[in-house]
Order: sequence, then C-alpha cells, then structure tokens
Amino acid sequence: MLQKLLHELRTMPKFLYVTAALTLLGLSVGLYRMIVGLGPTTNLSKAFPWGVWISFDLATVALSGGAFTLAALVYVLQFEDLHSATRPTVLAGLLGYSSVMVILLFDLGRWDRFYNVFLHPNVSSALLEVSWCITAYSLILIYELSPVLLEKTRFKWLLPTIKKYTVPIVIIGVTLSTMHQSSLGTMFIIMSPRLHPLWSSMLLPVFFLVSSLASGISLVIAGASVSYWLFGHSLKIKTMAKLSWFIPWLLAFYVVIKFGELVITGEWDLLFSSGGYSLLFWGEIIFGALIPIGMFAFRQVRFSRVASLIGALFVMGGVILNRFDVTWFSIAPVQGETYTPHWMEIAILVGVAAGLVTVYSLVARYLPVYEETDTFKRNTPLPRPLEEAPAAGD
Amino acid sequence: MAHQVNNPRYGFLIDASYCIDCRSCMVACSVENEVPMDSTRIWIKETGITGKYPDLKRFTAPFHCMHCKDPSCVSACTVSALTRSEDGIVNYDQDLCIGCRYCIYACPFGVPNYEWDEPLPLVVKCDMCYARLAEGQQPACAATCPTGAIQFGKYEDMLAEAHRKISEQPDKYVQHVYGEEENGGTATLYISPVPFEELGFPIAGETSPAYSNRLVTEGTPMVAGMMLVGLSGAYLTIKHIKEEAAREREEAEKEKLAQAAVEEN
Repeated sequence: MLQKLLHELRTMPKFLYVTAALTLLGLSVGLYRMIVGLGPTTNLSKAFPWGVWISFDLATVALSGGAFTLAALVYVLQFEDLHSATRPTVLAGLLGYSSVMVILLFDLGRWDRFYNVFLHPNVSSALLEVSWCITAYSLILIYELSPVLLEKTRFKWLLPTIKKYTVPIVIIGVTLSTMHQSSLGTMFIIMSPRLHPLWSSMLLPVFFLVSSLASGISLVIAGASVSYWLFGHSLKIKTMAKLSWFIPWLLAFYVVIKFGELVITGEWDLLFSSGGYSLLFWGEIIFGALIPIGMFAFRQVRFSRVASLIGALFVMGGVILNRFDVTWFSIAPVQGETYTPHWMEIAILVGVAAGLVTVYSLVARYLPVYEETDTFKRNTPLPRPLEEAPAAGD
Repeated sequence: MAHQVNNPRYGFLIDASYCIDCRSCMVACSVENEVPMDSTRIWIKETGITGKYPDLKRFTAPFHCMHCKDPSCVSACTVSALTRSEDGIVNYDQDLCIGCRYCIYACPFGVPNYEWDEPLPLVVKCDMCYARLAEGQQPACAATCPTGAIQFGKYEDMLAEAHRKISEQPDKYVQHVYGEEENGGTATLYISPVPFEELGFPIAGETSPAYSNRLVTEGTPMVAGMMLVGLSGAYLTIKHIKEEAAREREEAEKEKLAQAAVEEN
C-alpha cells in the first residue's frame, strides 16, 4: 500500500510538487494572517478596504461562469453534443468557487462569525445576494459533479436518482448563477462615488453577466486545449468549435451595450481624455473583445486547437483586467493614497491558486472527468505509469 | 419597493469658522468611547495653510459620521450590523459585524474606519452618543467644544440656524449648507467660510447611491422567479419539439417500411 503510494507520488507530473509546495506556503501565510489580523499582513487601509483578494475573487467567479453557461446549453437548451464538456467545466467551476470561498474567509475581518451571513441577512445588500447565491450554487455544482465521484464506488445505485433530478437542479443553478454573476456588478453601484465614470454604471450587473458568459466558455476551451497536451485526453475539436461559435456574438453584444451606455450618459469623451484610465479601458475592449471577435469569427480559428487557445486566453485576459479595473485600478485614490498589495496578500493568493491547480490535476488524473463515451483521446497517449514494468525496488 | 426616508430627530450644526483645531472633541470622543486617540470616531479636516505671508489662513472642521437619511452603509451591510434608527441615528452592532468592510467602501464621506491592528477587528464609527442622548445629555463632542463650533439639537432647528447664519452674514459664509442635500440629506450639517472642497469634503451627489442599489437588489427576487419560469418553459418546449421531431421521423420510417413491404408484395 505504502509502496504503491510512493510509486504514485514518484510518477506524478513534476509541476504538482511545485504547486503543492506553493499551496502549503500560501495556507501557512493565511493562517498567520488569521492569527495576527489584517494590519500587519496586508496593505489594506480606510481608503482601500478591499484589495487584490477581491479582484481575484471577482475574476475567478467570472471565469467559473463556464459551468452555468454550459449547464444551460446542455441541459436546458439541449445541445446534447456539448455534453462531454460539462464534467471538466463543472469541476473547474466548483474548484473556482471553492478557492473564492477560501480567499473570502481570509479576507473577512471577523472570519470567526462568517455564519452571521445566514443568520442576520440584509436583503438590500448586493454582497448578501452574492454570498447566498455562491453558497447555494456550490452545493449544486457538487450535485452536478457527484456522478463523477460516485461512479466507481458502492454508492453507484444513487446515480439514477441523481440523474432524474438533474434538470430541475440545473435550472435552479443557472438562475442562481445569473443572479450572483450580475450581483457582483451590482455591488459596485453603491460605490459609484469612488469608481471612475468609464466603469461606473447602472448596467454593471449586465456587463458582468455577459462578460462572465464569454469568459466562462473561453475557460472551457482553454482548459480542454491544455488538458489535450497535458493529460492526453480532451474534447473533440467539433465540440470546441461549437462552443467558441458563441464567443463573438456575446462579446459583440457586450461591446455594443458598453459603448451604448457611454454614449447615452454622455461620457464618451472620457474614452480619450482620461489618460491611464482610457488606456486600461481600451486595453479591455481591444484585447478582451475586438481581437477575439475577429479571431473566432473565422471557422479556421474555431477548428484549430492552438488558435482557439490563443483567442480564449485573450478573452480571459480581458475579463480579468476588467474585474481588476472595477475592483482596484478605477477606484479613485483618497488624498493621494493608493494601494499596492503586501507580499503576504500575494502569497496567500498564489497558494490558493496553486491549490486549485493541484486538486484539479489530481481529480482529472484519478477520476473519470474526461472519460465519457464521446470524449476524444489523443492518438499517442502518454504512457500510463502504473501499466509499465514495476519500478525498481519493488 | 417603498423605503421610508424620514428627517432625523437630532442634528449637528458644525461651523468651520468657529473651529480652532483644539481637538477637544477628539479627546472627549476618546474618553466617552474608551478608545485610543488614534481611533476616535471624530477627526479634523483642514484646508492646509493658504495665502501669502503675512496674510496666512488655515481653516479646520471636525468631521464624523454624517448620519445620512438614506445611508449607503446601511444598504451595503451584508448582515444588518449597520442600521438607521427612527431617530435618524446610524448605529453599528458590533456583535453582528463579519468584517467584510463593504460599508467602508460604500460610504461616500469616507467615515467608517477599521481596527486594522486588531486580530479580530471591528468597524469604528460615530453613534451620535445615543447612550448620552438617552440620559438627556448632548453628544460628547458637542458638549465639549469650547467655541461652539459643534452645535447639537433638533434637526429642524439646526437646519434653520444654518440658513439664518449664512443669510445674515453672506460675506462671511459660503452660501451652501453642506449636508442639506448631500447624499440625499444628512443629520450633520456644515457651514463654512471657505468652499467645502478646500476643506477636503467629498463632493457628494444629491441622491444616495443606496437608492440605485435598492432599485437593483430589491428587484432581484422577481428576476430570479421570472428566470426559473422562463428556463423551465424553454426546457419543456425544446424537449417537446425534439420529441415531436423524433416521433415524426419514426413514423416516416415506418411508413417507408410499410410502403416497401407493399411494393414487395
């Protein structure tokens, strides 16, 4: 048993050692932060009470939007040929949400009574809506993923029951996701006095929702491409092409409402007159929307793994930049006071992100995430270590 | 949804021209609330030294929670630790707070502060000394102020007094009562001989962002309900169409088979 475990450890991809070490380091720093408080471990202040953690949370939730986008496409709109993409996406979504909740726990000043969110709700708070929806939705993601976990255990008899209720559960999940993806934007409506007018808008919830759809699909495509090279199995290129077909339409809609809003509120002159802010804004639009629209409009791009990956990375980069802009870069300094994160803030973030990669890789290695009937396998599969001759010393 | 926004019962009137930067109000606040001087709930805003020697000027004004009629912090607070009482006092329940610090960001006046160096910190915010009010006393800062820069009383009286002062001495005061309209109106009112921006007061709009926030958050359950119905409807419709199509295909095939059978015979 121990021999087997050691053997497994030895045959792991080497990067997993690195990510595991980073995770441990990050979590230890997190523990230290919980003991000594926010002052010594962060650069947060009265002027910037939220920092890079919140930016990370918002970006991660947006990217995890793939899980509900795909669930809606497959179960509600019944694009059955996309079905094979759901498992890896739901797994990525669940891990994304879990890492957000871990970070939030480090972020809360009074983490010792986080449960007050459920005991003493304030219904007019957008943050309450977000925390309720994220909690409920994580449970639904676990439900959606449970067949993967149970398939090879003695609880297999539960599978038909789980399958029977999947559609209603998915419908609730899609609703919850729509609500919290948009509520994350709503959160910044009340902060309008602090936000730069290029980002401050009553339409923030819509912007956030639409961009999360595009970035969620992009994450599915990027994840499938990466796992093609890393694990040797992935989605069919036809499935990926079908998914990426949605991206230019979503992004075009986003660009239209974004500029439409600026024209209607008469703020369009800020597009060129706000210095660094204008640059950030155009960075988002050009790299995150216009370039990928141009790319994915071509059939050749949609049917190429490399080109799709590059396009998807553009979209994800654009959405991540957008979330960082709204939560950090576009926030007006107070009397010259700005914010740059403390190294411990970064260390905790890196740790949690590394933990996400570690767990995803382990689950993808041992559980049937990519192994539904119609998944695609690379022609030259990577050698499966255990099927080789026994390692020396056995 | 209707949200009641009433005038506060009590108000402050702070006259920047009377403030001499003695900081007695900060000492009083520190003593009253048993907190160190660097985490008092009141502090001094100032213009800095302006003008040219020998004609130098410097104006200051004490600043604490404005006690808005429609406070952003109350609307933002995740756990209803921040509430507005019927008297118009914006209160903080330190037993509920989870430390999300949304209130600090939401406040357009930059009022709530945080015990950054505590392991388990709380928000630091003026509560209008409501314990003193209950005993018929004035808030500590108002009771202590030696020049009368901080006046405290019925809100209507304070508002009337503010307007009386600025209209009687139009040369001395800026013709604006800060807090009458700001962020939808506040219980703390200011008059000043210099423009408020120079004192470092934020330029707040006339409606509270709390209102726009409620427009969205309180509509959410309805949107969610509509989505549930819409998604279920979409699912059932598409399922029906697909089943119909499958049945038609099946029937067509059967017919073909039957025809083939007839032809063979």
